[in-house]
Amino acid sequence: MDLSRRRLLATVGAGVTLGGAGCAGDDGSTTGPSSVAGSGSGIGTPSTATDRGDGSKPPTADGRLHLDYEIGTLEEKIVSGGVRKDGIPSIDDPTFAETPPEILAPDDPVFGVVRDGEAKAYPQYILVHHEIVNDTVAGDPVAVTYCPLTGTAQGFERGPVEFGVSGRLVNSNLTMYDRGTDSWWPQMLATAITGPLTGESLREFRVTWTTWDRWSSTYPETTVLTEDTGFSRRYGTDPYGQYNEKRGYYSSTRTLFEPLQGDSRAHPKAVVIGTRTETGTVAFDKETLLNQRVLTGNIGDTPYVAVADTDLTTGYVYANPESAAVEAADDGYTLDGTTHEADSLPLDRSLAFDAMWFAWAGFYPGSAYVD
Amino acid sequence: MSTDSVADGASVSARIERLLRHTAVAVRGALTRRDGQLLLGVSGLAYFLLYLAGLRHLGFGPAGYEVSVVSNPLTRAFRQVGPFQWEPIALVVVGPVELLVSPLNVLLGAVLASLVGLNLAVSVVAWRGPSACRLGPGAGAVSGLPGLLSGFACCGPTILLVVGVQASAGLLSLFQWLLPITVVALLGTLLWVGSRVEPA
Repeated sequence: MDLSRRRLLATVGAGVTLGGAGCAGDDGSTTGPSSVAGSGSGIGTPSTATDRGDGSKPPTADGRLHLDYEIGTLEEKIVSGGVRKDGIPSIDDPTFAETPPEILAPDDPVFGVVRDGEAKAYPQYILVHHEIVNDTVAGDPVAVTYCPLTGTAQGFERGPVEFGVSGRLVNSNLTMYDRGTDSWWPQMLATAITGPLTGESLREFRVTWTTWDRWSSTYPETTVLTEDTGFSRRYGTDPYGQYNEKRGYYSSTRTLFEPLQGDSRAHPKAVVIGTRTETGTVAFDKETLLNQRVLTGNIGDTPYVAVADTDLTTGYVYANPESAAVEAADDGYTLDGTTHEADSLPLDRSLAFDAMWFAWAGFYPGSAYVD
Repeated sequence: MSTDSVADGASVSARIERLLRHTAVAVRGALTRRDGQLLLGVSGLAYFLLYLAGLRHLGFGPAGYEVSVVSNPLTRAFRQVGPFQWEPIALVVVGPVELLVSPLNVLLGAVLASLVGLNLAVSVVAWRGPSACRLGPGAGAVSGLPGLLSGFACCGPTILLVVGVQASAGLLSLFQWLLPITVVALLGTLLWVGSRVEPA
């Protein structure tokens, strides 16, 4: 018998008490945040409530990210995803381990985060069932989010509040709500389109879409999210398809919901590495970037350069207003005669993330596309 | 007028009572026969398993053996996650078979499966009976289909990917009504079959 296949959440019959007095994850593992703003819930009790807003706000950026649509238009495009608010439950009491779950294969996708030297990996096969992890990394409360339908993994500062899954979608994209003000935030836009914080943009941080073996090789000290989420799920199965050999929705030309705007410049599910600023957007074809290592594009009149990190199979995007020559070298990228790592060119880095092309083009039809 | 209304009311009441009595007789008659019992068991079990598979609560996964229960199962069992779907409180893994246990969905599935089984049992027994009350056995089976589809209403709903149809507000609203439609259809066909059976 393979009893170690998954660690038991609790033994049968344990904690069978009315009122939810039991706690999940209270096992000495590295845990995430244990308190919930305004919730009054017990420590470690996975949150399921939806109406506990106390007005607390997530930290927002000084400026608003560029949008290609009026906010009212985006609000009109909100559709039901077929589940209730919190029907897809966020992980609010995550636990981490130093060794990966048994079923995490080396080539399986993970979403990696590094903050102040602390590295964490969030396996896609777990997040596909939860979409949001309200976590604390290096002492900072953050939300690591993933939308399966748009293939986007993004990180947000959350301050004293948690994010939850609203059950609604815009352009197939996860629409989060914050449990402080109940404002609704389409993940890719990172900008509230309903609620008291409408028009404000969240503070974001880099989440790297890579594979477990690449992430753990680059960050051997990383911890990894466990299946001990406080919820019963069939974590080995993905309702949409699979990534380790792409199948199903992830490779099909079909989308589940009609995009805000169609764009035939690339396969709908082609992966782009996109960046958006307060003034505009640009997207680089990921496969081309990994092959050519350096691509250039523009947001308005400002040149941008994208460089590949072949170890993590990801890319970074920098504003390059002086059009400085960036060239691929054996051990990095040369700029002004000096060699730099892909993630540390002496230019202003613009936050970028992977996305399915149809989703990027639907939200940003005016975006440049570089391939 | 009022006399007619009272008479009409009494007539409707009598007809309903007769319909229910005939249906009860038909059900009892079907279940006293071995083929009726077999049909109820087999079709009911098959529908129950399909319903759980539609919910994605039952399926195959990485092999192992495990029984795990969430920490506050009684509270969690009543947490609704979608139309007629509730939070699973336990995971049972036996070999490659995985089962998520959501008590209210198990209960709902059992009720639907019983209705489907009864429909089939009564229909087939009636079909094999005297020509005066021959019925096609398909009605009972078909009436259970919306309930199966309702199970797929979760996760997207991803069933639309399989059939290659894009989701729309109207279609998603329809999914919410699939289960009530199923219950009405199953009860309707059972009563209809019952109305065609003459008590001995």
